[in-house]
Amino acid sequence: MKFLDYIKIAYKNLTRQKARTILTIIAIVIGSMSVIIMLSLVISAKRVLVAQLESIGAFTLVTVTGSSDMQGGGGLITAGNGDPSEGKKLDDAILDEFKSKDHVVAATPVVSVWAKSMKLEGQDKKTWANVMGYEVDAGVFDIPILAGQGLKKGNMDKIVVGTDTLRTFGYADKPNDVIGKNMILLLDGGSSPDWGPLPQKPPQNADKDWWDTQSKNPKEIKAEIVGVSGGMEASQNYISMDWARKLQTQVRWEYDNEAQKKAQEENKGKDQKFNNMSFQVLVKEDMIKEKGYGSIILKIDNTKNVVAVGEEIKKQGYGVSTAEDMLEEVSKIFTVLGLLAGVIGGISLFVAAIGIINTMIMATYERTREIGVMRACGARRKTVRRLFTFEAALLGFMGGCVGLLVSYGLAKIGNVIAGKIAVAQSLPVSGFIIFPIWLILGVVAFTTLIGLLAGLYPAHRAARLDPVEALRYE
Amino acid sequence: MIELKQVTKTYKMGEEIVYALNNVTLQIKEGEFVAVMGPSGSGKSTLANIVGGLDKPDAGQIIVSGQDLSKTNDNFLSDYRNKTIGFVFQTFNLQPGFTALENVMLPLIFSKKAAGERKQKAIECLEAVGLGDRMRHKPNQLSGGQRQRVSVARALSNDPQIIIADEPTGNLDTQKGQEIIALLKKLNKERGITLIVITHDSNVAKQADRVVLIQDGRIK
Repeated sequence: MKFLDYIKIAYKNLTRQKARTILTIIAIVIGSMSVIIMLSLVISAKRVLVAQLESIGAFTLVTVTGSSDMQGGGGLITAGNGDPSEGKKLDDAILDEFKSKDHVVAATPVVSVWAKSMKLEGQDKKTWANVMGYEVDAGVFDIPILAGQGLKKGNMDKIVVGTDTLRTFGYADKPNDVIGKNMILLLDGGSSPDWGPLPQKPPQNADKDWWDTQSKNPKEIKAEIVGVSGGMEASQNYISMDWARKLQTQVRWEYDNEAQKKAQEENKGKDQKFNNMSFQVLVKEDMIKEKGYGSIILKIDNTKNVVAVGEEIKKQGYGVSTAEDMLEEVSKIFTVLGLLAGVIGGISLFVAAIGIINTMIMATYERTREIGVMRACGARRKTVRRLFTFEAALLGFMGGCVGLLVSYGLAKIGNVIAGKIAVAQSLPVSGFIIFPIWLILGVVAFTTLIGLLAGLYPAHRAARLDPVEALRYE
Repeated sequence: MIELKQVTKTYKMGEEIVYALNNVTLQIKEGEFVAVMGPSGSGKSTLANIVGGLDKPDAGQIIVSGQDLSKTNDNFLSDYRNKTIGFVFQTFNLQPGFTALENVMLPLIFSKKAAGERKQKAIECLEAVGLGDRMRHKPNQLSGGQRQRVSVARALSNDPQIIIADEPTGNLDTQKGQEIIALLKKLNKERGITLIVITHDSNVAKQADRVVLIQDGRIK
């Protein structure tokens, strides 16, 4: 018997019991759909992530932090999530050293600004301030801009905000409206950056109460919103390194011990009302110079050199993270999700397989006489066995195909919805759910295989029937 | 030439052993029309099954065209049934989902004939039984007589040497039954096909070249 004849006869037999065939197929459809949808979601989510990383050129970036036990955790474009004073200090000398390394085409230091919170001018709502300064013209990465424009070298009191910030202040749907408004960074009262009014000089009679009042009044620093970033680090806000350096420079009044000593010696015994406070001087302390940058982000000439450069720097005792590391972390999660999806899909397909076995066993009973006739007409046992196996495989195949079609329809709908969400969340993604060809072929092949396996036992039963008995069967 | 030499076939019915065929020796010549008669349970059908290669004897030999069927395997017997034998059953045994044409093509599918050849052959066979105009009909659209003609056409499709008809008139009225017997007889005479008809009907038996009577598994 020829291959095509098997298919034709199997198809003919299946269409004889339409209701039962359809019900059996529905079970397979559900099984294959759960496999397809879940796997394609996992694949698509990963693809979106990779696309986002690619859109900012993340696969050519290496993020260096001072301490080697700080890898992987805080995203790629990060100022490091620990105290920069821990581990090795990342200063300008190191920056230059990194810049001179082979394959490194650019580097930018990154610092996070010590603002406690921030609010939009005219609103009372406060949000956690995640403000990062970077060298805008270093050419390491471009913050994807959703509205307004990016930062420029030397920009002072200008900020590019992330979409989380927009959402907090109710501008999620209208990023353009927020451009030109002022964001107010609230700094701890105790700290006074080299920006805005100088700290009040402590009066002669400054006591504890005076200091307390000072620290209770948070410093407000205005920043004009020039742009909205559409990147995946939605909680991140950006300022230029130039301004960040100012903000990270602390200004305070200090005793001038030398001057005091001198004055005391000169005035010994003369003026008993002499007060220490008169010898305070204004001191500026560049905290970046003191403690180093939060991190340094390097741009590598080619993705294939990223690992090598990363390894080299790691050997020097720094913490290194790359998009690969991050992807590896995320891949682990996706692998688990994928496995879970597979298990759920697998269970439904297992149930579907039982349905196929049931249907096919019933068919062997119903068609016992027909089997007898086929045997009388010259069908070998093998022919009968194949015929039933093919029929079961065809059930699996049809279930897989229908499942694929339904999933495709659902994905189309899902893509429209996901597209809307993506726009709202300003993700640079379209066609969220995709079906790679291997998934399509794989699922259909898989359901067909399941059908085939499920058909083995019923087919074996059918084949071993004694033709004489089968012909006599009522 | 069909030769049964001391063929014995037993069945177990509970504890009891029943002799369906008990030491049967019989010869049927090529092109002969033999009617096999006997009461129910006498072993007529077992004889037909053994000659038709559906069953094997427990003892003795069944030799068809020089080949001892009792010494062959299932695949051989399948091919033997396919190429050498045509079966006609009392209950027609047509595949319900198939058209008349497809039913007739079934043995040709098993013999791996090319699709075109198959169809041509099946049409010829249907025309030979007078159903050239009913090829696209399914069994439930045909009368009993027409159905039996389809099964005769199916039996003919592989140009068999032997046609075994087990009560071919059993489900038909006298007139339709006679038509079928006439058709089989015509094929027997014109094509030289050996015809073995198992029947209760003495009117049918009358028309045969020879009547074999069987009782309790023995030929009388």
